Amino acid sequence: MIRHLITLMWNRKRANGLLIVEIFLAFVVLFSVGSVGVYTWRNYQTPLGFDYQDVWEIDLNPGTQPRAEQFGTLQRILQRLRSTPGIVSVSRSVSNTPFAFSENSTTLDTGEGTPQGYGDVYDADAELPEVMGLRIVAGRWFDRRDDAVSRRPPVVITELMQRALFPDGQSAIGKTVRASLGKPEEFQVIGVSGPYRAGGELSEPRPGFFLYVSPQDTARAMQVLLVRVRPGAGAALEKRITNDVRAINASWEMGVNPLPTQRLAQLKVNLAPPVILGMVCIFLIVNVALGLFGVLWLNISRRRGEIGVRRAMGATAGNISLQVLGEILVLTTFGLGLGLLVAAQFPLLGVMGVQTGVYLTAMLLAAGLLYLLATVCALYPSRLAAGIQPAVALREE
Amino acid sequence: MLLNYLKIAWKVLLRRKFFTFISLFGISFTLMILVVLYAMIDYTIGPHTPEKRVDRMLFANRMQLMYREGGQSNSSIGYDFLTRHVRTLHTPEKVSLSESNFGTTVAYVGQQVLKLDHKRTDGEFWQVLDFDFVSGRPYNLDEVRDAARVVVINETTSRRYFGTTTGVIGRPLVLDAVPYRVVGVVRDISISRIFSYAEIWTPVTTTTDNLKDPNYLGGYQAIILARRADDLQQIQDEYQQVVNRLPVPDPKTYKKVNSYAQPLLASLTARFNNDAGVEGGVGRFMKVVLSMGLLFMLLPALNLININVSRTLERSAEIGVRKAFGATAGNLVGQFLLENIFLTLLGGILGLGLAAGALHLVNDSHFLAYSTFALNGRVCAVALGVILFFGILSGAYPAYKMSKLQAVKALKGETAA
Repeated sequence: MIRHLITLMWNRKRANGLLIVEIFLAFVVLFSVGSVGVYTWRNYQTPLGFDYQDVWEIDLNPGTQPRAEQFGTLQRILQRLRSTPGIVSVSRSVSNTPFAFSENSTTLDTGEGTPQGYGDVYDADAELPEVMGLRIVAGRWFDRRDDAVSRRPPVVITELMQRALFPDGQSAIGKTVRASLGKPEEFQVIGVSGPYRAGGELSEPRPGFFLYVSPQDTARAMQVLLVRVRPGAGAALEKRITNDVRAINASWEMGVNPLPTQRLAQLKVNLAPPVILGMVCIFLIVNVALGLFGVLWLNISRRRGEIGVRRAMGATAGNISLQVLGEILVLTTFGLGLGLLVAAQFPLLGVMGVQTGVYLTAMLLAAGLLYLLATVCALYPSRLAAGIQPAVALREE
Repeated sequence: MLLNYLKIAWKVLLRRKFFTFISLFGISFTLMILVVLYAMIDYTIGPHTPEKRVDRMLFANRMQLMYREGGQSNSSIGYDFLTRHVRTLHTPEKVSLSESNFGTTVAYVGQQVLKLDHKRTDGEFWQVLDFDFVSGRPYNLDEVRDAARVVVINETTSRRYFGTTTGVIGRPLVLDAVPYRVVGVVRDISISRIFSYAEIWTPVTTTTDNLKDPNYLGGYQAIILARRADDLQQIQDEYQQVVNRLPVPDPKTYKKVNSYAQPLLASLTARFNNDAGVEGGVGRFMKVVLSMGLLFMLLPALNLININVSRTLERSAEIGVRKAFGATAGNLVGQFLLENIFLTLLGGILGLGLAAGALHLVNDSHFLAYSTFALNGRVCAVALGVILFFGILSGAYPAYKMSKLQAVKALKGETAA
């Protein structure tokens, strides 16, 4: 029966060419939008690794104050913030704070020709886990002991980085790793942390590591602070810190950005393209569905004679329905086959550097949706066909 | 004759309403999406407030230092550099310097925090650009020279801070604990006008930045107004000469300095195309936009072709009669094309209505701050062009197929699909 249908449709491939091309294009659209959707959804499902509620990011701008005096002012600002009621803890940071549309990335390795881990690099001080609720999985976080100048500066890497650098499952604690940050440097791993995806929920989960900023560091992490506040703190506290900073030095400017607000702003920007793509895709698919339905319907009324003969020869209503449905499913398969040839190039060529799993899921989704679509579109025409009475249809000839 | 064709087309449309609906749905939504996109582009780069004279404007807002070992450093330009080398150009009518990106400044209303998008500009800013003042005036050159604490605000800020837009001139607005005097209120500017957008504007001299910093890279931009649109090339050439004569800072690290004065579109596309030169990658941008548009139209067009082929084959008897009475293939092709264009026109008008609604929704959603997207003459003209193109694209093949039917077969009722 199926072979018979395939032969039938294959013989009419020229007449159905346009329909096949349409199904092919619909598949390509569904596949590409599906890939974006699956990719976004997978990222969204991965844990962030930190808690952004009640955390504020503070931008400081020293203005015209001479560079040599800036560290002193920063020390006083930190002291004042830590003693302000309503503030739980304060951490010095650099511009790549969570949801900030800013990233620093580089490659870590353990020596020539060893596995590499490419990912985010964060500057962090001893307070960061407390402020952000970062989880330490093994070893320890930075503390007093790291202030002493040692031969190799300490580094904390994330679990993903550990897996990238040591694929055989060893622990990274105590190992030496190399990073090229301007100049090649060696670091000693003192701890392994959970994920820290400052890029936000929709960013690709990737390895990361933290470099230590000691309280005496006068070169780095001078202009951005992360502050955990007590739940419910609002404009009153914000105004108070702004005034305090201005009182310490009038040339300093500061801006306060609560992380939940930053997160929403970032989500809005990052979600817009997939949502717009999704809406366009829905329109295109509805369009294809209506078109398919229309063509099938018109075809049935042109094939009354043929169906009448089949009914007269003993085919049941079910047989006729199945034939109509089968024909469109075979056509869909032709279009799908072409589409899969195109779609398979993406994982094969590794375009965009997205995991193969994303493409495979998108292919399955797209194929499933298309079959569903074809079936739904054929339901009414097939019932129409099944309802044709041979006596009436054959009389018309 | 033409009227006759249109009458026939109308009757055909009414005969099978469901198929007319399918066709119109496809056409109108396709057009809606294209029109919405084009309207957004038009309101970003077309002549709208405050860059009403955009055909006479150039933007110098990026400086590129090429490293000796490859790689580059891209940034906005230093204020001192712009004062020395751009303000002194001979060919432009006027040059305005301002911060290239808006910053955020905080104002407090009772227990509420207002985060205001803030841009510092010079006095020429208000002469080069055409803002709509609701009341008051822009700050002038003297006030900028004296670093007067004056501010121009937009209507929404006025409403949020003072609760009203009338009678606010002269009242104080406290920004970061410093009081500024409101001198003017302007209509809201959409964030899509990225180089002039802000909610409050203050004199550039009130900044805590060092405006005398000789670094080429900084946070500023120049908006250049030419006397005539024809002068743009001349200004670009003059600026090029200036840049070419510049000494390279730190010749051990860098080998070359690049900076261009570009029209609005080019200065936007150049942000995504660092190696594009003065042309700014506009050509590539246009190619991508056009091919995306065509690709997007392909599926609805194919759909319409499929429906049209099926529908016209139903009319084979009519075609047979026409052919038997001497109508040529050309006549028939003309008639069917006309019918299809008539159909797409109907769908197009629907689509324009839908687009107006969609743009209204986008504006209402505040997705882009202060957006005022709407249909205008240019957008409608482009839409009409797209409709005609779509009509011909989707009508040509079915019409050709119809005209090839043989009269004898058609009259016998064979549809020969």
